[in-house]
Amino acid sequence: MPSSPLLQISSVSKTFGGVVALDTTSLELAEGSFTSLVGPSGCGKSTLFNIISGLLPPDGGSVSLEGRDVTGTSGHVGYMLQKDLLVPWRTVMGNITLAASLTRRVTAEDRAQAQAQAERYGLGDFLHHYPRTLSGGMRQRVALMRTLATNQSLLLLDEPFGALDAQTRLDMQQWLLEIWADLGKTVVFVTHDVDEALFLSDRVLVMSPRPGRVVADLTVDVARPRTLATLTDPSFIELKRRVLGLLHRENA
Amino acid sequence: MTSSPQPPVSVVRENARRADAFAPAWPFAKLALWYVASVSLTLLVWQSCIWIFHPAPYIVPTPRATYDVVVSQWSQIWPLALGTFRETIYGYAAGAALGFLLAVAMYKIRVFRSLSYPLIIGSQAIPIIALAPILVLVIGFNIYPTIIVVTWIVFFPVTINTLDGFLNLDPDLLNLTRVLGATRGRRFWFVELPGVVTPLFSGLKIGAAYAVTGAIIGEQAASSGPSLYQFQVAANNQSRTDLVYGITIVMMIIGLLWFAVVTGLDRIFTPWKYRATARRWFRRDKTRNASLTTND
Repeated sequence: MPSSPLLQISSVSKTFGGVVALDTTSLELAEGSFTSLVGPSGCGKSTLFNIISGLLPPDGGSVSLEGRDVTGTSGHVGYMLQKDLLVPWRTVMGNITLAASLTRRVTAEDRAQAQAQAERYGLGDFLHHYPRTLSGGMRQRVALMRTLATNQSLLLLDEPFGALDAQTRLDMQQWLLEIWADLGKTVVFVTHDVDEALFLSDRVLVMSPRPGRVVADLTVDVARPRTLATLTDPSFIELKRRVLGLLHRENA
Repeated sequence: MTSSPQPPVSVVRENARRADAFAPAWPFAKLALWYVASVSLTLLVWQSCIWIFHPAPYIVPTPRATYDVVVSQWSQIWPLALGTFRETIYGYAAGAALGFLLAVAMYKIRVFRSLSYPLIIGSQAIPIIALAPILVLVIGFNIYPTIIVVTWIVFFPVTINTLDGFLNLDPDLLNLTRVLGATRGRRFWFVELPGVVTPLFSGLKIGAAYAVTGAIIGEQAASSGPSLYQFQVAANNQSRTDLVYGITIVMMIIGLLWFAVVTGLDRIFTPWKYRATARRWFRRDKTRNASLTTND
């Protein structure tokens, strides 16, 4: 067991007008881990996600990050959605440094870091382009760069590749794994896509609705680095069978 | 070198090509050409009507006669037109500022929004013709009633468009700024304000088109000295129809000029709508390396 978890969620729950969006949930995430939440709509994954980010105060329980109580407060995670939310009036560089400019004056180091990362991860030619000129995949790369530029150790990614075509998505997944391996971030990844969850993660939490809760906590024992061959690996297929079983039992 | 899956060269090329398409070399020249075409067409229709229907010259003068009389009377028209232009831009500036500040206050203060909305709509339900004499009663015969009339007309589209812009900002984007720990002031300056530049300019353009009308109504009701409007009335009384037409066209040109100025400002303030890459002097990083990696 690692010494102390990076993120500790203790008995949080959330009810909206009598509907239990998230039943009492406790969770610990190890530093540097990659965890996916999978489940159908209404299973509470977005609720859990918003509680961690601080957008939503939980009805009860607490969230602590690196030993600090952060329940109901914001500004402590990197955050990315399916919508890239790039602002059209800023260039790629400006979008990457947006988080910094929202909290303090942007420094030369911020820009140098943004430029170095953009160049390292394939955006060097587009530093001064406005987002409108970029393809969907490129825009998501910029959005991820912006998320990384917050320099937070915990990244929350909510279906970041959900709107991309299958081929681009696979490229992006490999690209994300490479960044994750380089930077040692802790990632919480929300997705509908079982393949995506298993391909990326150390750990997959399967959630189910009414009430929203975690019904299974699976460790993905598949060797890294993962490649296209991983997708047809027998142990991968076996895990996929189990997750699909869990998801569809709920629908029956 | 990067080990990540690079975008294929073809993608980079494609984006570079798109970049060129977004930034035509002479946007203003192209625009000017369309203006010329549009004016020529109008003159042609006007002249054709005369050729076809043969109206009496005291009802519809020819474009040529109208042009000649404007040129011959230019020394009289010019200072009056300048006066009208001055009233227009003073009133416009006040209206634009008032309109914008009202929109910000209505966006930020809910109670103020609910209280002021009916008043703002009501302000536009008052016929300006009826309002102008009241302003003269209160303020007297000077330039201020005219400026207030222009302000009255201009603020409205600015407020309504800008407020709509604020209220239609993407809630996910605003949530993102919260997650990132944005301060209120910085969120306003870096996200909310640039997010409404487009609707703000829509309002400013509508206001620009109406501003001259306001100035002329003001001159009619409140003018203390000679004005473009009074000159036109005098010309009409003397049955100098060509001069009446000419002054009307001068009024229109004042409006067009001002609209063109606002449109130019729009282009300057929203480069992302017309360009693929940021202008060099807008770029925040001054590193040499950065300028090598761009393609404009």
